[in-house]
Formats: sequence, C-alpha cells, structure tokens
Amino acid sequence: MKPISELIRQKPWLGWVFFLITMVVVFFLGLLASSIVERRAEAVFAYTPAVDIDSLEPDNAVWGKYFPREYHSYLQTADTVFRSRYGGSASIDMLKDAPELVILWAGYSFSKDYNQGRGHYHAITDIRATLRTGAPAGNVKSPSPNTCWTCKSSDVPRLISEKGIAGFYAGTWETLGPEVTHPIGCVDCHDPSTMNLHISRPALLEAFQRQGKDIGAVSLQEMRTLVCAQCHVEYYFNKHVAEGVQYLTFPWDKGFTADSIEAYYDAMDFVDWEHAISKAPMLKAQHPDYELYLSGTHAKRGISCADCHMPYISEGGQKFTSHHIGSPLRNVSSSCQVCHREETDKLVADVYERQDKIASIRHQLEKLLVRAHVEAKAAWDAGARKEQMQEILQLIRHAQWRWDFAAASHGASFHAPLEVSRIISTGIEKAQEARIKLSRLLASLGRNAEIPLPDISSKEKAQIYIGLDMKTLREEKAQFLQQVVPEWEKK
Amino acid sequence: MVSTSGLLKVVKPPPQWKVPVLLLLAVLAGLFLFLVHISRAPSYLGDDPKTCVNCHIMAPQYATWQHSSHRENATCNDCHVPHNNILNKYYFKAKDGLRHATVFTLRAEPQVIFIREAGKNVVWKNCIRCHGPLVTNPKLQAMRPLHINSLGTRNCTECHRHTPHGTVNSLASVPNARVPLPSSPVPAWLRNIMRTNTGATQ
Repeated sequence: MKPISELIRQKPWLGWVFFLITMVVVFFLGLLASSIVERRAEAVFAYTPAVDIDSLEPDNAVWGKYFPREYHSYLQTADTVFRSRYGGSASIDMLKDAPELVILWAGYSFSKDYNQGRGHYHAITDIRATLRTGAPAGNVKSPSPNTCWTCKSSDVPRLISEKGIAGFYAGTWETLGPEVTHPIGCVDCHDPSTMNLHISRPALLEAFQRQGKDIGAVSLQEMRTLVCAQCHVEYYFNKHVAEGVQYLTFPWDKGFTADSIEAYYDAMDFVDWEHAISKAPMLKAQHPDYELYLSGTHAKRGISCADCHMPYISEGGQKFTSHHIGSPLRNVSSSCQVCHREETDKLVADVYERQDKIASIRHQLEKLLVRAHVEAKAAWDAGARKEQMQEILQLIRHAQWRWDFAAASHGASFHAPLEVSRIISTGIEKAQEARIKLSRLLASLGRNAEIPLPDISSKEKAQIYIGLDMKTLREEKAQFLQQVVPEWEKK
Repeated sequence: MVSTSGLLKVVKPPPQWKVPVLLLLAVLAGLFLFLVHISRAPSYLGDDPKTCVNCHIMAPQYATWQHSSHRENATCNDCHVPHNNILNKYYFKAKDGLRHATVFTLRAEPQVIFIREAGKNVVWKNCIRCHGPLVTNPKLQAMRPLHINSLGTRNCTECHRHTPHGTVNSLASVPNARVPLPSSPVPAWLRNIMRTNTGATQ
C-alpha cells in the first residue's frame, strides 16, 4: 500500500474525504462532551428547587410555599395527642409524676416547673409559659439569659448574624422577647441556597473545633444526626468566655460519657447551684440525647436520628422525609420496621421493657437521693463542720449528676439501655456511699436514729417543704402572659 | 495484511506536515481526556454508590436505597452486578453501563425506570448469595417452608417487592432528595464571576 500522502497527491479529492471524516468524528465527540457537561449541569438543578428564600429567613411558612409536604408534616408537630408509656407529644408534668424531683432540685428553678416538652411547633409558647423563665415586667428581669432562646427559634441565626455570638447571648431573657417569635424551623437545619443540611448554632461548631474535628468533612448521614445535636445535648453556660455573658458551651472536651463530662465539670469547679437542703455543689444535666445515643447499638450500626425520628414516607406517589418529628413509636411501620421485620406489638413491647426496667432503678436512685439530701441537712443541723461534709457533698453531687444524666435524656433508656443502666448503678453506689458516711457522721454527732423524711407525697407538699410560694409565682406568670407577651407579639 | 511499520509508513505525513498533524492529534487526545474527566469514567471501575448518581436520573433509586436497611450492608453493585467471577462482573457492568450511558445521552430515559430481565436475575442470585444461609437454615425452614421450596424457582422479588427501593420509582418520586450528585461542571472562579455579575446563586 502506498503512503496516504502519495495517494492524496494522486487523487486530491481523497484528502477532502479524510478531512470530512475527521471533522464528523470530532463533531460528534464534541457533541458527546457537551451533552455530558449539560447533563451534569442539570444535576445541579434537578434536585435543588428554585427558591427565593433569604439566607436567614426565619418564617417557616415562607419555606413552606416551596416545600408543602415537608412543611405540612412539620406543622403536625403541633399535635399533642400521641402518648407512649413514658412520653409522647403532650406536655407531661414531671414533678407531679415524681414529687421527689422537687427535693432533688431544691434551690434551683426546675423545682418550680418541669414538663416533658411538646413538639418543635410549641417551642416559643412553652418557654414563655414555663415558670423557670420568670415573669419579667417593668423593671423586673427574667432569671434566664438570652442564651435560653438559642434552641427555641428560627430567629436565632438572624439574631446571631446581627449581634455576633456573645452579643446574642448577652442580656436577660426578656430583652430579646419581642425579636424571637418563630418556633424551631427550617433555617435551623437547612441552607436555603442548596437545601443541604447545615449547622446554624455556634456551640456545636466550637465543640468540634476544640476537639480538632472538621465538621465540614462529615457525611450526609452524620449530618442527619448532627443537626439534632445542635440542641439535643448536654450543655452549660460558661461565664469566662466574655464579660457578663452566659456563653453556651458543650462540655465534650474530655469525651461524651457521663463520667468524662463529670470530670470536665470537676476540673473547672463548675457548679450549677448550691442545693437548698444539703448545700451540695450541684450539677444539672440537660438532655444528653446525642451523647447517650452515641453509645447505643443503633448509633454503632450507622443509624442517624432522622432515620427513626424523621422516616421516609410516601404520599401521592412521592417520597419525602417526614418533618413530623417525634417518637418513632407513633409510626413504627415507617421507622422500626424498615429494618426490623417484626410485629408492631412485639417491637413496642421491646421498647417498653427496656424503659420499664430502667425507670424502676432510676426511681430507686431518686428516693436514695432524697434521703441523702435530707440526711445531709440533719448533719448540718446537728453541727457538722464543712470539712466533715465535703466528701459527702461531692458524692451527692456525683450521684445526682448520674441520675440526672439518665433521667433528662428521655429517650436514653431505649437509645442506650446498657450505658444508662451502668450510669444509674454507679449513681446508686455513690448515693449509698454518701449515706453510709452520713450515718457515721450523724452517729458521731449523737444522732443514731433514722432521719425522718418529710411528707412529699405530692408535688404541692414537696414544694411547700422546700419553701416555694407557688401561688405568687403562678400569678406573676399569668400576668406576664396576659400583659407582656401580647406586647412582644405586636412588635 | 499491513505490518505495523508498513501501517506507519501509510499514515505517516510528509516531513513538512509532521508538526501540524501532531498538534491536531493532541487536540483529539485532549478532547478524549476531557470526556474521561467530565464523565467521571474512572469511577465506573469501583463500587461506590455515588457513581450511580453520576446520572441524576438515578436519584430516586439512590435515595430509596439510602433510606433502607440495605444501606448499611450492600452497595448498588452488591445486588446489581454478578459476583460469580470478576470477568462476568465487569462484562455485565460494561454491558449495562454502556446501555445506560447511551439511553441517558440520547435523552431516551423513560419516566419510570424498570429493571430488565437480565438485571432481575442478577439481583435474584445476589439475594441468595447473602441471604442463602438464612433461607436454608433448617430451624427457619420450619417457620417459612415457602423459602426453601421456592429457592431457585421463584425470584425473591416476586414477594419482597419493596426491598429495598419501595414501589415508587418515577423520576419525579423524590423531588427534594439529598443525594450526592456530581458537582457543577462550571469551575468555581467562573461561578463566582457569574454570581457577581448576575446575582444568580448557582
């Protein structure tokens, strides 16, 4: 065969044929390339709804225009009908159910009022109504700082961007009252430009930074837990970050367990309040849901909060994530039964079995703690000295911390039954240790008989025993709700 | 037959054309490399489920798998390509993949995507590959005799129709799913210029 150049020299039209063939090949290659680019560009828009939502939009209804299904399921968090054995979507007066709690929290605002929370929809209504936030009016300030708004409202990202982090936390609770009107909502977890999950609260970001972890590098599956961990965690107010500011901080620097968080607080001599009966330097656990979830079997198998609390549901041929956040027991078929192919009754019975067993030992610890506080008071009254009491009070502090860690996380006896049992059993051990030391001390002070318990058979009697004037507190609150709150809402 | 050196002689341009022809060939090769890059071709050799949403029309399948119990233990390839030997795996993958790519490129995808017969059989074998010991366990046979009686004769998905994708598979069935779609092919610097010029967010 002759070289091509030779052929073309002989038949010049052949050159044009080569030219055309090459042109067609390149043309189609180019078409293919542009098609791939086009379809990849499509992907950016295909699942990103075209919305016109401000990056800090607090009003859930504005988001709801674009995401009617998600929004309507969110609105269902207003429901207060569902009731499980220990929880549910209704408000439950926990002090009424267990008057012992009034004694455990004597001297702290939780002894006035402690209810199991309702759905996200009620966040603002409920924080205004609780006696813990006081009844600010005129010159009377709330005992709570603005930090308490952090987890209640979708107005918070906007306020933090306006005032800065410390600027937002600064001041007492009533000062931001008129600004915070929308309950927990869309912008708390979603970035409106992409609808991806994002972290909007600084405390979680700061905790990750201190641990040297990059929150930008976590997977979508982890984000489906971390957006919840912005709030459903143990926290405290650090007074040493900025002058006069109660700075929201997560105590995770030594680890996530009850023991490591206790060590963290001990190392910084942190005290939430001095107990009114025993004078012990107390800690209040908030709701260490994320921390305890981490030690449970579901977390170890890669299950996120949203997998069970916000299951995928289908409506009119479309699938979407239910934003009706609440107990999975309300909807076992969409949550548990995705993995556990068993009868609903069996699955629910399994949950209740864990909860029953843990509730029984938790109540034992509650009763021991009441005794310990009352006996410590008897020791003070009998003339015990500070140095004699120090070790005992520290044991009471640790025992109650462990009880609270297990009790404040309502879902924990299911999320991590083994860890919660361990925490409660170490709490029982510490409470009994305190009581043994107390009886020795009391005996040495000449009191060898059993210390009588006050009558705390009802919430009211317990509150009278610790000296609370509930009637005045309730009247002030009612006045606040009638006179101050309508003013806030006008603005 | 023309030998290699002979072929070279045939296509070899005259000396004065060498440089232009080289340049043109490089342009073609570059275009080819660009294709490999923009289509994420190397990802097709692996088993990462993200590869399957290189084409965004697979988002419903990805999203439903991601919300299923199979998420923790099985990737797309674990079920959808054969695992009897590596040659068969890649042969089937190439065959299916090229068909998918062609349909996607021609924009010929149907509104509701159904699995074909060949794919169904592969899935069936893969159900048995993992769940076989469970189905043939003598203790469980007593409880579910249907399993062992149907093993090899009835496709698992005849009954387990919802596993794991559910029954809703239309392209429009998961309008707001968060799936790891490929990022924009527009480079970041260009996006920034576009954003400042037009105020667009993407």
